[in-house]
Amino acid sequence: MSDVLLGLKNLKVIFPAQQGIVRAVEGIDIDIKKGECVALVGESGCGKSVTSLAIMRLLNTPPALVDVESINLDGDEITNYSENKMQDVRGKQISMIFQDAMTALNPVMTVGKQIDEVFIKHQKLNKKEARIETIKALRLVGIPEPESRAKAFPHQLSGGLRQRVLIAMAFACMPKLIIADEPTTALDVTIQAQVLEVLRSMQRSHNVSLLLITHDLSVVAHTADTVYVMYSGKIVEKAKVEDLFKTPHHPYTEGLLGSIPRLSDTTKHFVQIPDSVPHPMFKPTGCYFHPRCKYATDDCKKKMPPLERLDNGREIRCYHPINFTGGETNE
Amino acid sequence: MKKIKKIFKKILNSFIGIGLFIAKIWKHKKGKIGLVLVGLLAFVAIFAPLIAPYDPYDVTQRAAKGLAPSWEHLLGTTINTGQDIFSMLIYGTRVSLLVGLITGIAIAFLGAILGIIAGYVGGVADNLIMRIVDIMLVIPTLPLTIVITNLFGKSYFIIVFIFVIFGWTGLARVIRSLVLVLKNSNYVKASELAGGSRWHIMTKHILPGVSHLLIMNTALTCAGIMVAEAGLSFLGLGDPTAISWGKMLAEAQSGGALLFGHWWWIIAPGIGIFIAVFAFMRIGLVMEEILNPRMKASSGIYKLFKTLNNTYIQEVFDGMNEEVLTTKEGEIS
Amino acid sequence: MQKSFVIKRILYAIFIFFVVLTLNFFIPRLGVDDPAERYYPPQGNMSDIEYEIIKQVTREQYGFDVSTFKQYTNYVEGLLRFDLGTSFRTGNPKVSTLIAERLPWTLVLSVSNLVISLCIGLIFGTVAAWKRGRWQDSLLLNLSTISVALPAFFIALILSFYFGFELELFPAYTNPNMVSQFDWSWEAIKVVFYNAALPIISMSIGGIIGYSQRTRNSVIAVTNEEFVLTARAKGLSQNKVLFKHTLRNAMLPIVTAVGMSLSGLIGGAVIIEQIFNWNGMGTLFLEANNTNDYPLMMGIMLFMSTIAILANLIVELTYSLLDPRITVGEKR
Repeated sequence: MSDVLLGLKNLKVIFPAQQGIVRAVEGIDIDIKKGECVALVGESGCGKSVTSLAIMRLLNTPPALVDVESINLDGDEITNYSENKMQDVRGKQISMIFQDAMTALNPVMTVGKQIDEVFIKHQKLNKKEARIETIKALRLVGIPEPESRAKAFPHQLSGGLRQRVLIAMAFACMPKLIIADEPTTALDVTIQAQVLEVLRSMQRSHNVSLLLITHDLSVVAHTADTVYVMYSGKIVEKAKVEDLFKTPHHPYTEGLLGSIPRLSDTTKHFVQIPDSVPHPMFKPTGCYFHPRCKYATDDCKKKMPPLERLDNGREIRCYHPINFTGGETNE
Repeated sequence: MKKIKKIFKKILNSFIGIGLFIAKIWKHKKGKIGLVLVGLLAFVAIFAPLIAPYDPYDVTQRAAKGLAPSWEHLLGTTINTGQDIFSMLIYGTRVSLLVGLITGIAIAFLGAILGIIAGYVGGVADNLIMRIVDIMLVIPTLPLTIVITNLFGKSYFIIVFIFVIFGWTGLARVIRSLVLVLKNSNYVKASELAGGSRWHIMTKHILPGVSHLLIMNTALTCAGIMVAEAGLSFLGLGDPTAISWGKMLAEAQSGGALLFGHWWWIIAPGIGIFIAVFAFMRIGLVMEEILNPRMKASSGIYKLFKTLNNTYIQEVFDGMNEEVLTTKEGEIS
Repeated sequence: MQKSFVIKRILYAIFIFFVVLTLNFFIPRLGVDDPAERYYPPQGNMSDIEYEIIKQVTREQYGFDVSTFKQYTNYVEGLLRFDLGTSFRTGNPKVSTLIAERLPWTLVLSVSNLVISLCIGLIFGTVAAWKRGRWQDSLLLNLSTISVALPAFFIALILSFYFGFELELFPAYTNPNMVSQFDWSWEAIKVVFYNAALPIISMSIGGIIGYSQRTRNSVIAVTNEEFVLTARAKGLSQNKVLFKHTLRNAMLPIVTAVGMSLSGLIGGAVIIEQIFNWNGMGTLFLEANNTNDYPLMMGIMLFMSTIAILANLIVELTYSLLDPRITVGEKR
């Protein structure tokens, strides 16, 4: 499949600790096509951020232990790249946008210099040339007066502007893939919409793939093409965004959708999923979601349901999927 | 009668509070050593006359001068007076502990009270206190102590006095910073809304909030004071009749220990200082770890990783493997 | 930086200076009605009349014969002319002259100490942070706990004993001719540092470990911040990340610490100087103490306080240059 940009196969990440082992990611596969926006959705603590760091190979051992079959970026197996080779990949072929722009930026360096760095490293420009490119990038994300803004320090900019700086920094060298980890969570709702718009238009116009990590389904509805739903380290559902919202298969997805307050809903209760996410060290037997699942039966408590790949492209991990009349399974 | 009962209760509560702290420190691996050492030192200080083989104050118990360590004199005798060094070491505990503890506790009181008032009451009180702190900070304490002992005579009382007068400043600043944060916490605001008086809030809410920091700082302060006291005693500013480790070092130097190679006379008081300071520092550092679990030297993780059982890890990873099934068709119902 | 902030700070510094100066003026006058008695305490073999005459002469000589207020204004006037008073010692040299003579010698010790402690401390601390959890880090931690409990003067005695008396590698007592024979020649400089070796080493041991620990903690704290992750995610090399991002931020608290220690450059070595009989401000002060030379003692104290005030002022004004987050004018 030549239109697959990122092929992540069987990623596992654990964090050994005194009291036990934290199983952060338990064997997930993610495929991102060229130009596609893929959302990775889940509650906090389900392993999404760890996944993004693992793809960039930024997880340090210690404290993490990573086991992955393959990370394939546009034909290149970056799984075992040396640190030096990875440094050429990071920022140039894959870049990342972090959640909180205030802490993600170096407080004692001007934002301009921080973007210049990317150009200097990856395009071998000198300071002057890099600054020209930086200003272009800032203008592209809609920052007014980029020449003077570039000389500002992060704390001197508003939250929305800061986030746009992060976006500009990520898009600087026109990478093939951008991973955005909760890019709008720290922002006000109105700014959120603006930033998402910038992200989307930049992505579309430059044919950059986007891996959007979030817990906010409204962001997903607005921006994504494909959605992976993650729960406690495992992928529990994958679908195109329209399919996911119209006919979710996994009870957890149903729960997530139900908990979005909708103005149009006057009849339904505000649905809540009871209890909370399992502790990453002490997970339940069988399906991790069964303690909170209203459809759970005895099989759900005994064995983890396998991930089924449907031939319409969807994936579902559940013994009793909803909105579903199952076909035959192949062993 | 009621008031006396109230005060008694308060004192009892604070003892219980301190007891809880000690228990917390005891639980901590490293804290045990600190507490044991402090306990040991206290024991030695209190029962010095019973423990020390000779009474260094008693002129009749002097022996031959400049003896090397032997069974009769475990650390030998001084070159200038023939006093038993081991006994002097034991008696020296008293000065160090007394000066350290009294100063530490006094600073704790002053620093906490002024720090809480400055932080919580703010305004003029805050300004005034902070200005005083600024002034005290620029005055060099060692020369000042020398001047004051010159004017009023050499004594430990003066030393403690000056330590306290200048020492509360650091603690007050630190406490004040914390109080400024606590001031905005929800439970304080709730208490204010409920009509709690300032005094009530400061004692019932703010004080417990700073207690960890206070105890930690006090332990570290005591350690620092003991070092400073050793230095001042070395210069001869303390009570000339008292025996202190610093003074022992001074006598060793002037008595010719260096010249004649009586290294035991120099090492002994040094070790005394070391043990005392080390013990209090341990307690302070353990408290800091309890307060700030993050700053723990996380060599724990590295040790953990060294001893990881690789087969077990592989098992964990393998356990996550599973077959991925391909279903022919998924019809939406 | 706003002018108003600078002016405010300078005025405040001047205010503190006046308070300290006033305290300085009154301290030797504590406990006696007549300041002349400080110079000439009553001695047993003198009749009352003789004592009165001597006191009167003393008063006139040292300006105690005017009202206290006038004495105070004289004092302040003198200070504005950099006149810190006249010493009681023979020849009545000016306090400022004595300070000027001895200060450079103290600086030889304290500045050397600072430079060595900082340089080695920064390197060792960064290495310990880089190798967090490994033996370098554990070693530093152990050394730290031990070093705090060993006062510098004790280390000085041990070094003096072992390297000075036993091995005779370095002089245990400063060569008394070192000062008078100093002529800025290379030979003379070598002599100075040969004599200064043990004092400097005694102080540096604690200093190195102190700065190492501080640096290590600061570097680790900064490394855990997200912007370091961002820098790595941009593909920057380890060196770039370390120097441009990590260290640049980790140095801020170290700079503050150095600034705070500037005031100790003068007065911090009193005990060490005494042990090695080094001809600096510390020994000057102790000499003054032994001879009840109050003008000299108070002059030195005022000098030290003034340096402390200046050091604090400089640190405050320059800190905002280093850390752009500190908006000028913010109260701590």
